[in-house]
Amino acid sequence: MPQQTRVRRWPWVAIALSLATALTFALVSPPDDTQGDLVRIMYVHVPAAWLAYLAFFVTFIGSVAYLLTRHLRWDRIAAASAEIGVYFTGLAIALGMIWAKPTWGVWWTWDARLTLTAIMFFVYLGYLALRRTTDDPVARANRSAVLGIVGAVQIPLVHFSVVWWRTLHQPPSIIKPDGPAIQDPMMLVALIVGVLAFTVVYVSLMVERIELIHLEDQRNAFERIADQSVAGDSVTAPDLGGSS
Amino acid sequence: MSDWGWVALAYGVTYGSLGVFAASIAVRIRNARRALGETE
Repeated sequence: MPQQTRVRRWPWVAIALSLATALTFALVSPPDDTQGDLVRIMYVHVPAAWLAYLAFFVTFIGSVAYLLTRHLRWDRIAAASAEIGVYFTGLAIALGMIWAKPTWGVWWTWDARLTLTAIMFFVYLGYLALRRTTDDPVARANRSAVLGIVGAVQIPLVHFSVVWWRTLHQPPSIIKPDGPAIQDPMMLVALIVGVLAFTVVYVSLMVERIELIHLEDQRNAFERIADQSVAGDSVTAPDLGGSS
Repeated sequence: MSDWGWVALAYGVTYGSLGVFAASIAVRIRNARRALGETE
């Protein structure tokens, strides 16, 4: 029998509260000397990019842990985080384009940071597609764990692209050897609150997304059992080896 | 478009897409629970 789980309310409440708090701080923070009110886009663009890094790093950890332990719980964590990471990467790209048009004059340019972020987006879309190639949970976990580990190489590449190459994109705003580039305390607070709020959103979405994968695996397992009981011994697997 | 127009667009995309993404997960969980209930 499937194990029924309780319906949780707290993730949705946490998402609503954290997003309302982030919006409040973003709106009351002062305009920038050079960018004016456009700087408020930073309070959603930077957290979205940070969450993409975090999500794909968790996918990496889940993939490594699965290959070490062979416990499907780690595969569920990796998969849930990858899906949320793809969403946040897409959001970061979209917000970057909305910010780029009024400041750079173009929606898109083949800058190192932008190009590598787009490649990362498509690689993890491939990760999600790879997971749909089989219903066998073990084969799915084995295949996707390899891509989850290899794909993580892109995280430092994307982050340090603005340091290693000459790019149009600005360098890191907060994590810098000589301290944050943002000097106004209210702007710094608004950005940090945005990052924390989006992290709460990520954790809440993770709880629900892992639950969904667990439920779908249960349903697939029951469907497989139902198919076997109907077919019984009358159906035998064909030999696909191709040997003569 | 004014600066506030771009800001409104950015926040509309962020909060709108987050709402749709979260709602899609909630609906899929509800459907999966129903499917399991039918299996039982």
